[in-house]
Amino acid sequence: MKKILALCAALVMVLSATSALADLVICQNKVEITAALEAFAKVYEEKTGVPVKVITGGGSSDYNTVLKAEMQSGREPDIWVIEGPTGYELWADKIASQDGAEWTKYTSAAYIADGKVVGFPVAVEGYGMAYNKDILDKAGIDPATLTNFDAYKAAFEKLDSMKAELGLDMVVSMVAGTTTGMTWVTGLHNFNVYLTVGNERNDTTYIDQVLAGQVDAERFHQYCQYVALIFQYSDPEMLINGTQDSQLAAFANGKAAFYHQGNWMDPSLVTLNPSFEIAYAPHAFLHEDTDGILVNPPSWYVVNANGNTEEAIAFLDFLATSEEGADYMVNKAAMVPAFTNVTLAPATPLSKSVMEWNAAGKTYDWQQYKLPDGFGMGTLGQIYELLASGAIDVDTFEAMMIDAIAGIAK
Amino acid sequence: MSSKAKRKLTEMLFLLPTLLAFIMVIIIPFIYGIYYSFTNWQGTGAASAWVGLDNYKTIFQEPGFLHSFLVTVIFTLFNLVLVNVVAFVISLLVTSEIKGRNVYRAGFFIPNLIGGIVLGLVWQFIFSNILPQIGKSLGMNLLSKSLISNKDTVIATMVIVNTWQYAGYIMLIYVAAIQGISKSVMEAAEVDGARYWTRVAKIQIPLMANAFTISLFLTLTNSFKMYDVNVALTNGGPTTVFMMKPVQASELLALNIYQTAFKYNNMAAGQAKAVIFFVVLTIFSVIQVSYNKRKEIEA
Repeated sequence: MKKILALCAALVMVLSATSALADLVICQNKVEITAALEAFAKVYEEKTGVPVKVITGGGSSDYNTVLKAEMQSGREPDIWVIEGPTGYELWADKIASQDGAEWTKYTSAAYIADGKVVGFPVAVEGYGMAYNKDILDKAGIDPATLTNFDAYKAAFEKLDSMKAELGLDMVVSMVAGTTTGMTWVTGLHNFNVYLTVGNERNDTTYIDQVLAGQVDAERFHQYCQYVALIFQYSDPEMLINGTQDSQLAAFANGKAAFYHQGNWMDPSLVTLNPSFEIAYAPHAFLHEDTDGILVNPPSWYVVNANGNTEEAIAFLDFLATSEEGADYMVNKAAMVPAFTNVTLAPATPLSKSVMEWNAAGKTYDWQQYKLPDGFGMGTLGQIYELLASGAIDVDTFEAMMIDAIAGIAK
Repeated sequence: MSSKAKRKLTEMLFLLPTLLAFIMVIIIPFIYGIYYSFTNWQGTGAASAWVGLDNYKTIFQEPGFLHSFLVTVIFTLFNLVLVNVVAFVISLLVTSEIKGRNVYRAGFFIPNLIGGIVLGLVWQFIFSNILPQIGKSLGMNLLSKSLISNKDTVIATMVIVNTWQYAGYIMLIYVAAIQGISKSVMEAAEVDGARYWTRVAKIQIPLMANAFTISLFLTLTNSFKMYDVNVALTNGGPTTVFMMKPVQASELLALNIYQTAFKYNNMAAGQAKAVIFFVVLTIFSVIQVSYNKRKEIEA
C-alpha cells in the first residue's frame, strides 16, 4: 500500500511538473519569427518567472491543422493566432475579451467582435510588387509609373528584352506550386488584389459578391489578364517547383527584377545581403490608375478564456508596452508594429517600404481571409497552378475561376 | 470455483488490457466516426445536426474525390505488381549462392527503416533537383523537367519511391518462405533435369503460395492507405483537369480525406469519405485474400 501511495505521489509530481513547464503556451503561424519569439519568451521568463512555450505551424505546413491538433491535445494554447473572421468564428466560444488591457490604448488595429476587444494585432503587414531598384534604373523604368496594367506590361516587356544585359533569369520571381505548398501566394494574396485594390478600406463589395458566388465580370476579366501577365514573365520551373526559399533567392541574388511577396520575408531577405535598393510598387491590375499596396494586421493574438487568461494578457501588455517588446517586434522579428507608442523604425527594406506606404495612407485592405476554409489555398490555388503550368489558357482560367467561385454559394 | 472456470477467468483477465485498449482507441472512435459521417459536425465541439446521407451524396459528386479514388486504384495496381516482382526477384538473388548475400539482405531492407516523410523529402530533392540537372546535361527531354511536377509521371514517381521503401520488407517474407522449402525437393528436381526457371515456377512459387497471400495483402493495404510518402513527396500536386474541374493529380484517398477534414474544415464529409475508404479497402482485401487462399489449398 505504501508503495502504491509513493507511486501515486511520484505520478502527481511528474504530472504537475509537466504542466508547470509552461504556464503560457502560444500557438503561432510565422515560421520566420520563431527564433525571435522564443528568445523574447526567454526574456519574459527571466523578468517575470512565467515560462512561455512557443508552438509554430506555418510556411509549408498548415497552421490551422497544427492549431486544431493542439486544441485537441488536452493542453489548449493560452494564446493563439486568428487570421480574421473565419478563425474568430471557429473558436469564438473559447476566446476571452481583452477589454481594458493596457495595450489597447496604443492601437487602432485591434480585432473587435461584438463590441469587445478580442484580438491583439501581431503586426501590420503588407505586400505588393517588390522591385530591385538598381535593375529598374538600368532599364530606365520609373517605379512610380507602375500604377496600371499597361505600365506593368510595358515594363515587363522591356525587362524581358534586356534579360541578358541585366543578368536576369526571369522578370518576376513568383511561385504557384501545389507540391511545394505555395498556393497561398496565388490563391490568397494575389486573389485579394481582385478583392480590394482601388477600394476604400472596409469596402466589402467584391468579397460579398464572391461569397454570394459572383464576380464583377469586367474587373475580374482584367484581373485574370494581370495574373496571366505575371505568370508569362515568371520562370516556368520556379512557378511549379519554387519554394519560399528559392523564390526569395532568385530576387535577392539579382536574378529577378520583381518579387511577389510581403514584408514578412524580411528576416530571411537580409540574411542574403541584397546589394541593391528594394521597395514596393502597387499591384495595379486595372487599366485605370490605382496607387497603393495591400496592408493589414494579417493576424491577431487571441487569449483562451479557459486558460491562464490573466497571465496571457499580462504577456501581451508587456509585448506592446515594454522596450524589450518593441526591440523584439522591430529589430528581432523585423515586423511593423501596430502600436503608436513604438518609435523604433524598421531597418529592413520591405518593412520600411510598408511603413512608408502606410504613413502615406496609400493602402488597400486584406479580405482574403473571409473566403471559406481551404477555398483560396486549395480550390483557387489549383486553378492558378493550371494556368502557371500552361495546362490551360487565360480564358479557361477565367471560366474555371468563375465556376469555382459560383460553387461557394451552393 | 472449479479449476476450469478459474482458468477461463485467468484467460479473460489476460485478454482484458489489450481488449480494453483496442475498444478504446479503435472500436469507439470507429463507431463515433460512422455516426459523425451522418451529421454536419465541424470538429470544434459546436453542436452538430443529423443530415442523413447528404455527406455521402455530395462526396460522390465531387471530382476531387472521384479522381483520388481513381489514382489510388491505379497507384495500388502498379505498386502491387512492382513491389512484389522486385521483392521476389531480389529474394531469389539473396537466397542464391551469390557472394555477400547477407550484405544485400541488409541493404535492401534498410530503406524500410527510414520514415516515409524523410524518404519523401529526399526523393523529392532527387526528382526535382538532381534528375533534371542530369537530364539537361544529357539532353534527355523527359528528365529535364521535374517528374513530380508532371501530371503524367507523378504517380510513377510514387510507385518508384514506395517500391524502393517497401520491397525490402516484402523480400524478407519471400526469403523466409524460400528457405522453408525443403532442399531435397529442389535437388530432386535438379537431378531430374529441371532448369532454374522451371524450378522457380513449378516448385518454389507453388510451395510458397502462403507467402504470396500475405505479401500481396500487405502491399495492397499499404498502397491503398499510402499517406506519408504522398504528403512529403508530392503533397498531392500538380493540378490537373478531371471532369472539367481542377483536381490534384497525385492526391491519394488518405490525403484527400485529410485535406477535406483539415484544410477545408469539413470534418463530417471527411468522415464519410473515411467510411467509404474503409468499406472499399475491406472488400478489396477480402477478395484478394480469398483468391490467394484458394491457390494455397490447390498447392
